[in-house]
Amino acid sequence: MALLTQTIGSLIAIFALAGLAWWMKLGGAPLLNSEDAVRRAAGEVEDGFTLIAASCDAEGKGALARDSAGRIMVIKRHGNRFAGRVLGPAGKAQLLGERLVVDPGEARFGKVALTLPDAPAWANAINRVSGRQDA
Amino acid sequence: MPDFSPTQYAVPLFVVAVLAEMIWAKFRAPEAYEPKDTLVSLAFGLGSTVAGALLGGFALTLFIKTYDYRLFDFGAEWWAVWWAWPLCFVLDDLKYYWVHRAGHRIRWMWASHVNHHSSQHYNLSTALRQTWTGMLTFGFLFAVPLVLLGLHPAMIAICGGFNLTYQFWIHTEAIKRMPRWFEAVMNTPSHHRVHHATNPRYLDTNYAGVFIVWDRMFGTFTPEVDDETIRYGIVKQLGSFNLLWAVFHEWIGMLTDIWRAPWRHKLSYLLREPGWSHDGSRETSDMIREKWQARVGAQVAPLATSVADRNPIAGSAEAA
Repeated sequence: MALLTQTIGSLIAIFALAGLAWWMKLGGAPLLNSEDAVRRAAGEVEDGFTLIAASCDAEGKGALARDSAGRIMVIKRHGNRFAGRVLGPAGKAQLLGERLVVDPGEARFGKVALTLPDAPAWANAINRVSGRQDA
Repeated sequence: MPDFSPTQYAVPLFVVAVLAEMIWAKFRAPEAYEPKDTLVSLAFGLGSTVAGALLGGFALTLFIKTYDYRLFDFGAEWWAVWWAWPLCFVLDDLKYYWVHRAGHRIRWMWASHVNHHSSQHYNLSTALRQTWTGMLTFGFLFAVPLVLLGLHPAMIAICGGFNLTYQFWIHTEAIKRMPRWFEAVMNTPSHHRVHHATNPRYLDTNYAGVFIVWDRMFGTFTPEVDDETIRYGIVKQLGSFNLLWAVFHEWIGMLTDIWRAPWRHKLSYLLREPGWSHDGSRETSDMIREKWQARVGAQVAPLATSVADRNPIAGSAEAA
């Protein structure tokens, strides 16, 4: 009974504090809207990632980056931080209208939808990686 | 026998402190908090309390049985032996250091402890991001030597509670440095920020609970440098606020690796360091640090620079 009371009390406090963080507008929404921003985020995803090309989502919510070894990284905004994956054989890309949907092959990381100026070229590059690996 | 849990009494203090830090963040660093991240961290805290209540009985039973074989006897009123309390606190903190170190260097232990590191934020709510699966590891066995020494399991539990309560306040970016003498002996926000960092220079260092001296003694101490922004979390960030995924992801990853690995490598996926792989396709923290060192070479600031040397209110002498 004491555990139940404590659990309910804790639940109330948890939602109150999280609600307060939301109400106080804590967090923010950083943008990936420049090559420098992508370089910084890519370096956070993988230390030493040498960016040679980048393409930013029109809304700045994500980006694609390529390094000197030809690897492609997808980066997404996660809360007010960034998370990313270097795409491997399981990575796929699909053009849906103006959006490029990048699937790194990890269900829990999720697909990343990006509006890019050069989406078809990136889609080809991503699918070539998986195609090459599958061959 | 005293029935007292320091962490239970500290819960209201935790709530007030998180609230105070949020107000600080509102005016000084709004990015320090993220509502979904906070929700996940606090839910972790609640879940760990429930898991502890449900699963902690096994360890307690083991300790009570072990206590029968103790080498020294503090008598029936062991709680009245005053000097046993500080002794127990220090030994329990030493035990914590080694449990914690194992928690980072043995994947089985990491599968549980990774929960505490899975936030990309570092604030007081992160302190409450405690594991639900600690009892599925062998971490509790590290306390057996203390029981065999004659320290009663309840005394160890109470000291452990104070230890955890102490560690709450060091999960903050609101405090830059403590006075020099304090930084030299105690675990502080600065030392523990290093521990939560994914910057290669900081990986797998500063395991201390209360006394940072253990890291200095056992060669795992790294001071915080001022000219490098700290990135928090884990090497492969989750990228998800799914609570259950956050709780179990490393267990699933480890068991999948064990299942898929050739027989001769299965045990290594359980007992070797996180990131180890039999085909070298992944990176351990040591490999990441070596690559980083090779890349940056001479540009790296010397690690020997002590925290105290950079503390504006510290004296000019070397830290202990």
